[in-house]
Amino acid sequence: MTAENLAAAAFRLREVGVLAALGVAVLFFTVRATNFLTVDNWQDIAKDVAIVVVVGIGETMVILTRNIDLSVASIVGLSAFVTADTLAAHNGAPLVLVALLAMGVGVLLGLVNGLLVTVGRVPAIIATLATLAIYRGLAFQVTNGEAISAFRLPDSFLNIAASKPAGVPTLAWIALGVALVGAAILRWAPWARDFYAIGSNPDAARVAGIHTGRRIVMAFAMCGALSGLGGFMWASRYPTVDAVSATDFELDVITAVVIGGVNVFGGSGSVLGVVLGAVLVATIQNGFTLLHLSEFWKLFFNGFAIVVAVAINALVTHRVQDALRRRRRAQVLAARHIEAEV
Amino acid sequence: MKRVLLMAGRLLARWETLLVIAIIGVGIWSTTLSPFFLLRANLLDLLTPYAFIGLMAFGLAFVVIAGEIDISVASILAVSVVCFSQLYDKGLNVWLALVAGLVVATMLGCINGVLVGIFDLPSLAITLGTLAAYQGLAYVILPGEGVAAFPEGVTKFGGGYVDNELPIALLVLVAFAIALGFVLHATRFGRYLYTIGSNREAARFAGIPVARVRVTVFAISGFMAGVAGIVYLGYFGSARADAAQGSLLDVVTAVVLGGIDIFGGSGSMLGVFLALVLVAELRNGMQLANIAGDTQNIVIGVLLLTAIVVGNVTRAIQARGLPSGLRRKGVIATATVTAGLGTEPEPQELKGR
Amino acid sequence: MSRKRLGLLGLALCIALTAALVAGLTASAGRASQETAAQKKNYKMFLIPKLIGVNVFTENGKGAKEAAKELGDTVIYNGPTEAVAAKQVPFINTASQQGADAIIISANDPNAVAPALKRAVARGAKVVSYDGDVARDARTIFVSPPSAQAIGAFQVEWVGSQIGYKGEIAILSATPTAANQNTWIKFMKAALKKPKYRNMKLVKIAYGNDNPTDSAKETQALLQGYPNLKGIISPTTVGVAAAAQVLQQEGKCKSIALTGLGLPNEMRKYIKAGCAKKVGLWNERDFGYLAAYVAHYVLDGTLTGKIGQTFKAGRLGKRTVVVSDGNRPVVVLGDPLVFTKANVDKFNF
Repeated sequence: MTAENLAAAAFRLREVGVLAALGVAVLFFTVRATNFLTVDNWQDIAKDVAIVVVVGIGETMVILTRNIDLSVASIVGLSAFVTADTLAAHNGAPLVLVALLAMGVGVLLGLVNGLLVTVGRVPAIIATLATLAIYRGLAFQVTNGEAISAFRLPDSFLNIAASKPAGVPTLAWIALGVALVGAAILRWAPWARDFYAIGSNPDAARVAGIHTGRRIVMAFAMCGALSGLGGFMWASRYPTVDAVSATDFELDVITAVVIGGVNVFGGSGSVLGVVLGAVLVATIQNGFTLLHLSEFWKLFFNGFAIVVAVAINALVTHRVQDALRRRRRAQVLAARHIEAEV
Repeated sequence: MKRVLLMAGRLLARWETLLVIAIIGVGIWSTTLSPFFLLRANLLDLLTPYAFIGLMAFGLAFVVIAGEIDISVASILAVSVVCFSQLYDKGLNVWLALVAGLVVATMLGCINGVLVGIFDLPSLAITLGTLAAYQGLAYVILPGEGVAAFPEGVTKFGGGYVDNELPIALLVLVAFAIALGFVLHATRFGRYLYTIGSNREAARFAGIPVARVRVTVFAISGFMAGVAGIVYLGYFGSARADAAQGSLLDVVTAVVLGGIDIFGGSGSMLGVFLALVLVAELRNGMQLANIAGDTQNIVIGVLLLTAIVVGNVTRAIQARGLPSGLRRKGVIATATVTAGLGTEPEPQELKGR
Repeated sequence: MSRKRLGLLGLALCIALTAALVAGLTASAGRASQETAAQKKNYKMFLIPKLIGVNVFTENGKGAKEAAKELGDTVIYNGPTEAVAAKQVPFINTASQQGADAIIISANDPNAVAPALKRAVARGAKVVSYDGDVARDARTIFVSPPSAQAIGAFQVEWVGSQIGYKGEIAILSATPTAANQNTWIKFMKAALKKPKYRNMKLVKIAYGNDNPTDSAKETQALLQGYPNLKGIISPTTVGVAAAAQVLQQEGKCKSIALTGLGLPNEMRKYIKAGCAKKVGLWNERDFGYLAAYVAHYVLDGTLTGKIGQTFKAGRLGKRTVVVSDGNRPVVVLGDPLVFTKANVDKFNF
């Protein structure tokens, strides 16, 4: 087995693991909870998953480069408000334009994050912790402490969260689209492939000629854009938007991403993983609700899942690295043997 | 004469001096906002609402100096507070309950420490997870409904006054600042922290029990969160699971603004104390100016960022003079960004996935 | 000099500086208190709602300011952005620091704000609570909307009449610690014991924290967790609006009856769509107006919290201080208003 195959196998192991966990969860809840396997229930799950997936793909891009973005929830909140505000003032505005506006807001905020990390040399954790507060404060300034009530929004917009073409909620269709585009980008766009390189070994990436600064800014900008889209979707699902909308949402996103196998050290992760991770998290939380468990167990579960996922990830990474190291040593020794004989 | 000037110059250029100047500056601004600012009662009371933040910051400073980070402190405070209140509510003697709360807090810190120190997991990701897990635990232990009405003996730590003027919380804060400052600057343990923060591998080779120290430092962080919880209880008069939620920004700002290098290896307790005073004064002033809490957060957030950028710039200048060296800094900066995520990972051979 | 010594020197310097500063200012404390004693008729009152950004509280503020204008006082309206008691504390402290004569507060938790209020009282302020009461020893008078018993009983009847007095119901409340919510829920439970409602079962009390997103999520959780749910009572304007929105989004307006306390402007669309056929409230602006008047009369000594004292609350007429459960002095606003499809257009708040 070559080094690539070994790496690919380890990676597939991650996703298979999540899939297996998902299977177990579904079985468990089907047996224990009433109403789990109904169409109605899964349509609900799909709506929650949709927003997490969209923002999660953005977050993944940042984490791939060995950074993190804690401010996504504030970006979602701010763009949700911009969406609601625009639509409340202009009921007839074309929805696509408003969505682009939301994404634009997100890109700007994401750019600030990226510049802080690259030009300002501020560690991502601190930078985005600060911008989490700053953007949330901006949301407050913009909302002026008032909420936009749902009844002021056009029905066409509210319909996005309500409609279910072909039985699948519109929000889920949007997420599916984003997932396909995101996966394609991460697979084939050269600048996106650079994310993996930067995350695996930033120094080597730089030496190899990759503009790490520019790529990192790009990653944060993409994350911002997707968070902006997430905000648009959020406003449709929870249409009474105020300054505190989407608070703590970053935890849901990061849980889904980490469970989905994205390595917090950067360098590995996939869109499929994020989707599976989001579905697993939403499924378990839904199951908790159906079992009438206190909703606070959900929060505990999120945290616990992150710790477990990180630990497993580290374990797998170490095993694979050890294996690769052993293989490399064997290769070197073999080469020396050949030299000696020759 | 020259020596005096040189020393004075070095004193002036110290981070702590900058903080003192800033504190005086903000003080002047505050007096323009309200004639009530300069009252003795008000000045003494300045730190009282932020005493619990300061205590958490002291503990966090230890962790950051050692090269790690702990963002779960606020959640540990919450668990500690609800544990105490539930035990007290169920009839346990108040002092025993208090001790139990502290023990729980320390244990939660230990869990962080073991995961990071022994299993070598990245502290950022782990404490992000425990932040959520512990917070969820707090809600499970005390869902929603707060517990109030604690005996004077307990609430005096956070809300009591000597002679109706000197806040006991202030005394607690200063006492811990001095005690922890002593540990940090005058004991072997403190020196270990600086060494590990500067270069973990070198520390290991030097014979320092790195794993043990790292576990201990997280335990200290947890313990201080527990102490902060007691003061919190005294000041707010009730125990709720969402205690201290949203305080993480101020805690991290106090640490970073206090001159503690976020990459580990340097900083002083005095700096953290002064930074706390500055944050408290700033927030108090903004509150007097009727600036909303969320807007205040913008100011604090910007302050946090400024502190780091300024720190980076001064470090760059100290390391290799001015502009021409900045380009090569890229290599150092990326490596240090790595350090910011917790541990120095082994060189990875997995690429492209 | 070693680094350690320098650090200790710096610490000592700071402490010395602070001590000098503080000692030198001892005089000013006396001066300031002398000023406040000699006053005054233009009272400075701070209105601290549970949270800002919610229409009912904004209306309270407007009403209070209207009363202040009539009385020659000033009302400053400010509060936290989340319904969290700990976040009201800095506002209480600032009010006290700025020399407040009166603090009018609707508290998120009766006990959590009590220490801060008592500190403010020790520094010369008077406290009047309204809507969300505080610990009895931390305020002079409580201003109540319609009697708690009436509010509880009415809402049970409003939902019962829509579901044929049979089936599972749930309550979507605000924060678990708000005194008014808990009192209303207490009276709702008492009402449910009546034989008329014996076929109705309360299956869950959910908490939306006066936050639209949380309330929406809680409603969704109710729908998921209790498939046989027939009715929802939401005694909070944020909750009832969020629940109505969710029911409409999920297409469940016909199968689940929603009622509660709602603002006519916010609920109009849902009332007409049939998602919430009947909701009630009171005039929030009058509520704030009344609270400000009460505060004024407490400050000038007319009202001391004694049962039976009367006063004239501007355009609302003569009011009396009565007793509420627990022997607390209370001033009551009046009976609730009911909004239905037939009359909702007549109201504008």
